[in-house]
Amino acid sequence: MTLLAVAGLEKSFGGVMAISDLSFEVPQGSVYAVIGPNGAGKTTLFNMLCGIYTPSAGGIEFGGESLVGRQPYEVAALGISRTFQNLQVFFNLTVLENVMVGAHLRSHRGLYRAAVRWPGVMAEERQIGEWAREALAFCGLEKLADRGADSLPYGALKRLEIARALAARPRLLLMDEPAAGLNDTETIEMRELIGRISEAGVTVLLVEHNMGLVMGVSDTVLVLDYGSRLAEGPPKQVQNDPQVIAAYLGGEVEHAEH
Amino acid sequence: MHGETRRMFDQLLQFLITGITVGSTYALVGLGFAIIYNASDVVNFAQGEFVMLGAMSAVWFLGVGLPFPVALLFAVLGTCCVGLALDKFAIEPARGASVVSTIIITIGAAIFLRGAALLLWGKDIFALPHFSSEEPLYIGNATMLPQNLWVLGVTATVVYLVRHFFDRTLTGKAILACACNRTAAHLVGINVRMMLLIAYGLAALLGAIAGVLIAPIAFTSYGAGIMLGLKGFSAAILGGMGSSMGAVAGGLLLGVLESLGAGFISSGYKDAMAFLIILLVLFFKPSGLFGRKAAERV
Amino acid sequence: MRRFYGFFVFAALVLALPLAFPDNYFVTVVGVTIGLHIVLAVSLNLFMGFAGQISLGHAAFFGMGAYTSAILTSRYGIDPWLAMLVALAVVAVIANAIARPVLKLRGHYLAMATLGFGIIVNIVMVQEVDWTGGPDGMSGIPGLSIFGWELDSDLKWYGVVAVVMLASVWISLNIVDSRAGRALRAVHGSEVAAQMMGIDTARAKAQVFVLSALLACFVGSLFAHQQAFVSPDSFNFFFSIELVTMVVLGGLGSTFGAVFGAVVLTLLPELLVVFEDYEVLILGAILMTIMIFLPQGLFVGLVQGARSLLARRRESALVGS
Repeated sequence: MTLLAVAGLEKSFGGVMAISDLSFEVPQGSVYAVIGPNGAGKTTLFNMLCGIYTPSAGGIEFGGESLVGRQPYEVAALGISRTFQNLQVFFNLTVLENVMVGAHLRSHRGLYRAAVRWPGVMAEERQIGEWAREALAFCGLEKLADRGADSLPYGALKRLEIARALAARPRLLLMDEPAAGLNDTETIEMRELIGRISEAGVTVLLVEHNMGLVMGVSDTVLVLDYGSRLAEGPPKQVQNDPQVIAAYLGGEVEHAEH
Repeated sequence: MHGETRRMFDQLLQFLITGITVGSTYALVGLGFAIIYNASDVVNFAQGEFVMLGAMSAVWFLGVGLPFPVALLFAVLGTCCVGLALDKFAIEPARGASVVSTIIITIGAAIFLRGAALLLWGKDIFALPHFSSEEPLYIGNATMLPQNLWVLGVTATVVYLVRHFFDRTLTGKAILACACNRTAAHLVGINVRMMLLIAYGLAALLGAIAGVLIAPIAFTSYGAGIMLGLKGFSAAILGGMGSSMGAVAGGLLLGVLESLGAGFISSGYKDAMAFLIILLVLFFKPSGLFGRKAAERV
Repeated sequence: MRRFYGFFVFAALVLALPLAFPDNYFVTVVGVTIGLHIVLAVSLNLFMGFAGQISLGHAAFFGMGAYTSAILTSRYGIDPWLAMLVALAVVAVIANAIARPVLKLRGHYLAMATLGFGIIVNIVMVQEVDWTGGPDGMSGIPGLSIFGWELDSDLKWYGVVAVVMLASVWISLNIVDSRAGRALRAVHGSEVAAQMMGIDTARAKAQVFVLSALLACFVGSLFAHQQAFVSPDSFNFFFSIELVTMVVLGGLGSTFGAVFGAVVLTLLPELLVVFEDYEVLILGAILMTIMIFLPQGLFVGLVQGARSLLARRRESALVGS
């Protein structure tokens, strides 16, 4: 069953066509990777899926609902969550509080009720805390719960963002370069984490440069080049596609084959 | 009726003259804001205090017995030094601070300077002598003081020199480079700290010049800085925060609008005009009349 | 939960003070002013500290509460409590109206917009002489009574203001550790991430802006009845800056920091009466020094310093044994 369907998507900034006529479908329960050289439009695509940018043309359907023109918080309410390429951790909060914010949509007590400790507010707090600790444990961060987020090392922060996104129990998790800046050990751990997320039933759409991670964890790979689709298919097939090789390596491999 | 229109025309002319004169002060203050903002992304809430200090210190130097031109020179240079000190001791130590922090620091500096002026010179109102004669000139039925001409002339000259500085000299361009991309500026060998220092000194200089120009007409006191600063900021926003010439245009426009509003609508609400403009510009066109829009990358 | 131990100690202190010193000027008269300032600082902290915004016009809402109550009770003879409700309604409408456009702005622009708003309100207070009495202010504002119990002594006012003040501190502490409070602090941390977590950031900011305005309005009404006199000088740009200083001095985002800042900045001019001329200078110096060297605030800095000192003592005690 298709969870996310993108059709004829276009985005131009001024005269520059960042994304042109892009169409693809993400099956529910799969891990779908988007790769491509820098400037290929991957982050622009992500931002459109989240509602941060509005497409110039085309449609995005998520579980039957159109995402086009929606505000980011509305997109989140439909069941999409996200991690960021440039960390957007809440450094002014503790690790636990960061993840508790992730559970925002699963709770609903407002400002005025909280102000006067309306009945039910405290119970909800405890519940949110539990959900947050579950998500932290899933990502291996439960021991760091009460530390300030600003005291964590980079690798832990990447996992914190994931825990925060998972606390929302999303149907689709968008991961923007989860392996960026990680060393080999951490990358293997990340690969394993993504695998577990997929096993838990969350559909994952990721943008990534690290080929080892992509090939090892994805079901389908989409290759973007200059804002349009270059190839799509299982990792092995895409890896051996001559057009893909040419786009990444500039045709040198072809010469070597002669 | 011929008489009615003639009178309206005279009034209009009078308001325009007053407006452009006051507007020149706003233009210089606004220009000072724009320069510092262009160099460092900081809005210097103490800008108005430079105007006040220029005028008040000129009065003081005069009172001590210095000849008029020397007193003016010392006042302007002295205020320039205050501007340099502000950068060196308040802005630079807090270089990486958040926007809110920097705003509060410059507000603190403004209040500090105001407090210092209060301590040194008390609450009295002072006036500087006119630069040349006090005999009014007549344009039709509208009067103009020679001081008005001084204000316009000096402002125009100063603005031209500043424009030349930023467009044609290496230092000027280096200062603009710091605003665009501080890291890149560092990497090409620009001494960013020195550029910021110059920017603050220049802004203080402009403020002081505006102060001594307008003091003969509008008088001055320890508290004069706040309103002037706010109106100068209004001018800078009106013109567009990134554009120095926009700030000048904004200042003149603001002065004229204020004068017309005071004359034709209500003089009590004259001050509100500037702030109403701030709100309208910020709500509907935050980039101002001539400013660029900044893009934010996610 | 930890925060509330401090609250009970604080509440006990506040309520015990007048019992220990019933005739002390500092307690009964200055204490009332301190209490009002605390509510103002705490309410501003909700907006500036939690949500990470800036307002240089908070005094305007304080003034709107005061003048609305003053005008309705002394010119039209309306019951003070009803007048208070009207004032709250008026401020709710105005704050809601300006919230959306103003809160689209960030940083300097937001600062200037709130500043402009505050100054315009102040100018209206000065200009509309028929309504407000102009720059000389309005006197003859009737006193307040609670179900027949007249508030006719400093001590009684202290009691009422103390209760209101403690309630506002309690409200602020409740908000910090709640879903809504975390949402605000998340907006402060990263607006885009907050949005992706499902938080309607524009609405959240507007909500807290209105709440802080309503709190300021409420104590404005109390202020008018307590002083029996209002003038525009109490609600000008300078006072807005003083309120910002209180919040900053204590530490943005800390409720007790705001309390600390309010207490210190209200006591300072009282204690330095001799140095009245220096008051402005010192205020400016405080603002600059704190923001340059201790941007997390004096109170927060002291608490953090004390904590790390205790932690080091504990460590060395362990090592020693």
